[in-house]
Order: sequence, then C-alpha cells, then structure tokens
Amino acid sequence: MLSRLVLVSGGLVQASRSFHQSSQSLAPVPPLPEKGGKVRHGIFPEELFTLLYPKTGVTGPYMLGTGLLLYMLSKEIYVINHETFAAASIGAVVIYGIKKFGPSVAAFADKLNEDKVAKAQEVKDQAMASLAQGIEDEKKEQWRVEGRHMLFDAKRNNVAMLLETNYRERLHMVTNEVKKRLDYQVQLQNLHRRMEQEHLVNWVEQSVIKSITPQQEKESIAKCIADLKVLAKNTQARATV
Amino acid sequence: MMVSFFDQFASPSYLGIPLIAVAIALPWVLYPTPPARWINNRLITIQGWFINRFTNQLMLPLNVGGHKWALLLASLMIFLITINMLGLLPYTFTPTTQLSLNMGFAVPLWLATVIIGMRNQPTIALGHLLPEGTPIPLIPVLIIIETISLLIRPLALGVRLTANLTAGHLLIQLIATAVFVLLPMMPTVAILTAAVLFLLTLLEVAVAMIQAYVFVLLLSLYL
Repeated sequence: MLSRLVLVSGGLVQASRSFHQSSQSLAPVPPLPEKGGKVRHGIFPEELFTLLYPKTGVTGPYMLGTGLLLYMLSKEIYVINHETFAAASIGAVVIYGIKKFGPSVAAFADKLNEDKVAKAQEVKDQAMASLAQGIEDEKKEQWRVEGRHMLFDAKRNNVAMLLETNYRERLHMVTNEVKKRLDYQVQLQNLHRRMEQEHLVNWVEQSVIKSITPQQEKESIAKCIADLKVLAKNTQARATV
Repeated sequence: MMVSFFDQFASPSYLGIPLIAVAIALPWVLYPTPPARWINNRLITIQGWFINRFTNQLMLPLNVGGHKWALLLASLMIFLITINMLGLLPYTFTPTTQLSLNMGFAVPLWLATVIIGMRNQPTIALGHLLPEGTPIPLIPVLIIIETISLLIRPLALGVRLTANLTAGHLLIQLIATAVFVLLPMMPTVAILTAAVLFLLTLLEVAVAMIQAYVFVLLLSLYL
C-alpha cells in the first residue's frame, strides 16, 4: 500500500513538471565517489558509529553488539550448535582470503581502470603531439616560403644571365658570319683588281714588245753602245784623275 | 519427528512460500548491472573482467557457430558458482542439492546439443558414435556402447552436481557436529577443526565443480 502511494506520488511529481521546458538530459553524469563507503571491521558502516557517538561515546556500538550477542545466546534465540562451528570455519576462510588477496585484487581492478584511462590519455596526447608537430611544420614551411623569393630572384638572375650569354654568343656568331661573307667579297674584289692589273701589265708589255720594230731595236742597241763608250771614257778619265 | 542430517536438504518453505524460489533468485541481486559509464568502480570492473575472461576461454575451442551458446554458458556458470558459494554459509539452503534442479539444467541443455547436432549435420553427429580406428569386429558393440554413453550424459551431469554438493554439505555438517560434541574433550577438537577448515577450502572447489559442469556441457557441443 505504502509502496503504491510512493509510486503514485512519484508519478505525480513527474507529471507536475511542465513538458519540454528545459533540456532534460542526464549528462554530464555526476561522477562516482572515489572510494566506497567507510566500514569498520569490514561489515559495519561507519555511519552507525557516528550515529551512536553523541549518546554513548566510542564504546557505544561495541556494547550494543556484545549486548545483542549475549541476549540472543542467553534467551536461546540463537543456539550454539554444529552450524556455529561450520560458520566459524567458513568465516575464518573468508576473512583469511579477503585479508590475503583483498589488496592485490583491488590493485588489479584499479590497474584495469588505470590502463583504460592511460590508453585514452595516450590517444589524446598523441593527437595533441601530432597537432603540435603539424603547427611546427607549418611554421617552418611559412618561414621557408618567406625565403623563397630570394631563391626565385637568384634563379631569375641565372636565367637572365644565361639568356644574355646566349644572345651575345649568337650576336658574335652573326657578326662573324657577316664578316666572313664581307671578307670574301673584299678578297674577291682584290683578286679581281689584281688579276686585272696583271692582265693589263701583261698586255702592255706584250704590246710594247710587239711594238718594238727591228729598226728601233737596232737604233737602241747602237745608242746603248755609244752610251757605253762614253761611260767607259768617263770612267777611264775618272780613274786616271 | 526425528531431526536427521538430511533435514538441511529439505526444500524450505515459509508461510507457504517456497523459499527455494528466493534462493534461486538471490544470485541475480548480487551482481550489479554495469552502468553506462566508461570507468566503473572496482566491483563492476572485476566482474566485467572475469566474465570476459571466462567467456573467452570457453569459446576458444568452438567455431563461430558455437558462440551462440556464450551467453547461456557464461550465465549458467556464474549462477552455479554463486549458488554453491552461498550455500557454504551457515544456515543457508543450496538449491543445487536438489536433483530436480540439476536434472532441470542437464536434460534440456544436453538434449539441445544433441538435437541441434542431428539437425545441422546428421552424418557427423552420428559419426561421433564410432571412434576412429576401431577394429572391424568391434564395430557393432562399440556403436551400442557409444549410444549408451551418449544417453547417459544428462544423467551424469545432473547427478554429478547433486552428489558432489550434497556430499560436501553433509560432510561439513557431520564434522561440525563431531567438533561440537567433542568440545568438552579438548585435544581432538583442535584436529577436527583443522579438518573442517581444510574440507571447506576443498569445498570451494564447488567452483571447480561448475567448471566441470560447464566444460562437460561444452565438450558435448560438436556444433
């Protein structure tokens, strides 16, 4: 009955909340408490001790426990029989097991969780590292780009020089070729002139030789002999003087 | 009314409610459902890890078709372990000491494996009845023997579990009674207490019992 009342009142509480007014999501989920509830002697929650502390002090709960135990034993509500020993043995085994393996099992569970967190953390760290590296690389590339115009200038200069050199070479070549052609013409003209000169000289000689008649030949020879005689006389005369 | 040692195995009922139902439903309460969190508390982490490891081991020899049995076998294992371990506590009732419960587990599951085997690959299933390399004259006899062994399997599974648990509980009761009775005479008690303790640790081989149960069930899977 009471439970039904609770359920209905719970439903009423839900119904009185207006619809779709706020984003009713359960996220972010509140974090779990780090450690379990504090217990004393493995079973009794610490809240019991805190509850009884104001009235009965530190020994309160222990007195309560002892009193209950003695009451149950004396009134034979709990009878000591063979099961007590069975309970004692199993209790001893359980407590031994918990004391011996408890911390290691807890550490194991913690390690499992730690490993999970560490893996995710590693992924995150690696992502961040790769992104930082990307930023570094990008900065380096930008710096490289700044210096790239110098590279281009140098290259441009190179190319210009090459072009210039090429141009000059070809210019020279052209000049040389033209000069060769002109020299050829000059030589040709020289040759022509020389040949004409020679030809003319030959012709003149030939014509002079032809034009020497025998008469003239005799006269010239006679003249030569007369001249020679005069010369001989002169030299003779000079020689005696 | 004679109080005998077998009273602990009577199915308890209180005000007409068969408490065995409560006893069977109890293990469900003890294992919390993992919440939708990424990192959980230690209990759930360990629970999840254990179930994971166990199912992994169980499914190793099986091919993919056998993996359909993973949920059933894993939950069966957890259930039986919990029930048996809880039965070690004093004044508790262990449902698995009832033959009816164990046969209720054994027969349907065994029958399922046989029927599925027969349906999917009848030749191979029938072929298992004859081990390889038997001399020819022995074949008829061997087939009969193998069939009998196949049919005995559910009986063996159920009775094995029942007998082991019942015997264990009975022994605990007996030795505890012996300790109790011999308490006025001191020295013997100490030795007997030690015997009880040792027996109890052996009885936490109820866990191994479950391993045996599930493993045998698994071995009969030629799926």
